Amino acid sequence: MSSFSRSAQQWATFARSWYLIDARMQPPGKISTMCSIRLQGKHKPIYHALSDCGDHVVIMNTRHIAFSGNKWEQKVYSSHTGYPGGFKQVTAVQLHQKDPRAIIKLAVYGMLPRNLLRRTMMQRLHLFPDDDLPEDILKNLTEELPQPRRIPRKLSEYTQEERDAFPGIWVPPEDFRMK
Amino acid sequence: MTARGTSSRFLRSVLQNGVGRYVCQLKRVSLIFSKNGQGSLGAREFIEDGVVDFARKNPGVVVYVSPQPVQVAKIVAEYLNGSVREETVNKKTTQEIGEILGQLANQSGLDIIRIRKPFHTDSPSIQGQWHPFVNRPSTLGMIRPQDRQPE
Repeated sequence: MSSFSRSAQQWATFARSWYLIDARMQPPGKISTMCSIRLQGKHKPIYHALSDCGDHVVIMNTRHIAFSGNKWEQKVYSSHTGYPGGFKQVTAVQLHQKDPRAIIKLAVYGMLPRNLLRRTMMQRLHLFPDDDLPEDILKNLTEELPQPRRIPRKLSEYTQEERDAFPGIWVPPEDFRMK
Repeated sequence: MTARGTSSRFLRSVLQNGVGRYVCQLKRVSLIFSKNGQGSLGAREFIEDGVVDFARKNPGVVVYVSPQPVQVAKIVAEYLNGSVREETVNKKTTQEIGEILGQLANQSGLDIIRIRKPFHTDSPSIQGQWHPFVNRPSTLGMIRPQDRQPE
């Protein structure tokens, strides 16, 4: 009847939730690992590889991701146009300048299983270069996932008192002469 | 026919894009009976006893009662996704018809076919079935972007 029956309770089990990830100053690989788990639905106890049970993931600030080491210059993204001599290679910097969402997108795509559901899962990934999200996506969000890396503070973000209180090893005397 | 040859689906819900609240999927129900047929006796009694109660309990369902010169009384249920189900209620008692109608109202309108991966337990959890908000930190209001959080 109109009361909440058992069959209706079961519907909530299959509901998709929308996660938000802030990619500011985060390594793209770590972000993509979190994404691919959620897009596949592997965090759910009802997971099954064939049933389409993945969630939506919204990533904002993809423009401000942080590669470690010299990956910006050294990491190479290769593609082939299909024509003779059509092998293209761009570094991470060039790719990022062309499309600030491409690095995360390629990383997530590579982490998803190579099956027919991969394109469907990728459709549930929403990438935004900055932190202004459309209203209809903001309405759906249910949880913001914690960032995998703690963002280090810049020197300019410290107040003057904190800089003064920083323990110094050695304070030069008044009459010390620098060479 | 072997089980592989029959049509099948995965267990799923009818939520749009997997998001939403419970909406009764039964939209229209018509009770077709004969005015003087023997088999429609229970259906006629149900119209006197139970059909108004059913319509009051389910304000989202349109209930039609149509006397027609039919041999077999039946219930035709139409669902939100466009599927139509017919249930014969010939020679059924009032109580049985009420049960059938309640069952039709609870159904999702998806085809009743073989379900792949029919996981089953004889001892269901007393904590209730899992859903996405189990063990999840609750946030009040809108989710705010991190750079607007106080330092």
